Amino acid sequence: MQVQTHVDINSEWGIVAARQAGRKLAREIGFGSVDQARITTAISELARNIYLYANKGQIYIEEVSNANKRGVKITAIDQGPGIKDVRKVMEDGFTTSGGLGAGLPGVRRLMDDFTIDSEVNNGTTISAIKWLR
Amino acid sequence: MNLQVDVREEEQEKHVLLNGEVDVYTASLLKEKLIPLAEKPNAAIIVNLSNVNYIDSTGVGIFIGALKASDKSNSSLKLIGANARVKRLFEITGLDEVMDIDSDQREEV
Amino acid sequence: MYQLYKEMLTNYLRNKSEHTLYSAQQFSKEMMVKDLSPEEMVSLHISVFKEIVEDLPEEVIDSFDLLLEVMIGYGLAHREHLSLRDRQRQLESELNVAARMQQSLLPSKELKVDEVDFGVTSVPAGKMSGDYYHYIVDEQGHIGVAVADVIGKGIPAAMCMSMIKYAMDSIPEQRLQPAALLENLNRVVERNIDSDMFITMVYGSYDPKSHRFYFASAGHEPGFFYEAATNTFHDLKTKGIVLGVSPKVQYHESSLKLEPGDFVVLLSDGVTETRVNGEFIERKDVSQLIGKYKHLPAQLMAEQVFRELERMQDFQLKDDFTLLILRRNV
Repeated sequence: MQVQTHVDINSEWGIVAARQAGRKLAREIGFGSVDQARITTAISELARNIYLYANKGQIYIEEVSNANKRGVKITAIDQGPGIKDVRKVMEDGFTTSGGLGAGLPGVRRLMDDFTIDSEVNNGTTISAIKWLR
Repeated sequence: MNLQVDVREEEQEKHVLLNGEVDVYTASLLKEKLIPLAEKPNAAIIVNLSNVNYIDSTGVGIFIGALKASDKSNSSLKLIGANARVKRLFEITGLDEVMDIDSDQREEV
Repeated sequence: MYQLYKEMLTNYLRNKSEHTLYSAQQFSKEMMVKDLSPEEMVSLHISVFKEIVEDLPEEVIDSFDLLLEVMIGYGLAHREHLSLRDRQRQLESELNVAARMQQSLLPSKELKVDEVDFGVTSVPAGKMSGDYYHYIVDEQGHIGVAVADVIGKGIPAAMCMSMIKYAMDSIPEQRLQPAALLENLNRVVERNIDSDMFITMVYGSYDPKSHRFYFASAGHEPGFFYEAATNTFHDLKTKGIVLGVSPKVQYHESSLKLEPGDFVVLLSDGVTETRVNGEFIERKDVSQLIGKYKHLPAQLMAEQVFRELERMQDFQLKDDFTLLILRRNV
């Protein structure tokens, strides 16, 4: 059975709840402690982005599988202002918040697959998958 | 090197008082403050250089930009209180011919 | 790797020797080469630790969860650093290519004419230069020389500098008429430059038959004229506005006669705006310095003056430096 959880992000509590859900699923699928921490860090960053730039949105966490492997898929959806220059935010050394954050390049590094879809004034959808090796 | 830019507006007269050095590091600060003033129509901009000990070529560029902007907006630009070194720079670059530079006039600071 | 770390940790817990710590330090280098992230290192430590120490208190094991979480951030920062380092290398190599291209804009053939002794040295403060120099000999044997200085320095100045070169190439007929040449260049520059950019330039031409040197300046730092008979330096004074301020400008042309041993010096303000211990040097310091080496051939003279000024500034050039010397031979 495929499990899908969704958490509304509109406060720091939402971020923690999303992390919890992600860790639980990752553990069930069989990820080791390092990968569990990576997946939750990626969830935190995506959820924080929603919280900081779009105010609210959702994080979906689900199990995915293909022919020979299983994984965790995180999908972050918001209806916020969108990202004007996606290439720019995917660059290392560029964080709009100006703070030290992993940012989107960090999320991409923590996970295996990464896709981003954003339209100005129409929100952003980011999904990332970590495969179990 | 630091630069302080103080702007005092009295109707059409815009008094700009500079303190420090206008160089490649501080030029953008001057540009931010000076160019919008020069773009206002019929303004009389008076830049007081009494407390400026050094201007480099990037700094001169900002004054050229301001001059061009003020010409377009029918405003005037005047530099006062330049010291010998600064004055020499405007002479060498030939800008004293197209810019109103009065180095004797020292405004009350 | 697991085995190696296990041995080290076992040894260390037994004897606490400095030798084992040294091995650990060497181990860390190897792990970085193998691209092992900090979080993986922490994880390795826990697994080994659990294996060699039985009945670890639960608190100790749990405490590593926290450390692992923290290390993820460090790991990301480390990776970002590596990727930025690669990018910096790439930019560096692009910059090197650009600097070589810029070098190719300068005259490549030495100026060798019996009537004059010529030398030039030009050194950028960074990789690329906002200074430009030029020399040419036409069919009649007239010699044209120029030094230009683009406002600012580095890449933007360098890009602007190439415009001067192409503009000069496109108006060859006035090459040896300094004032007319500057007027034409000014039109090109004024049309193509940002409102707060400008270029200063001095252009001179020397007629070896009449021994006259004609010159005009667009707001450029004045050069020097050295008179051998009286052993004195004079300023090459002439006035004119910088290139790029107004579309229609007329430039004034001056001339002087060179006697045998007389020479003219064209320079950029990187020479005169040398700061020594925070104080600017005076123009007369520069002319004295040139005078000190006037017994040398022009090329060596220019190089020696540069070397000495470079040393005076502790080898840290603040601005691009160009010095050009043309001497009438005896």
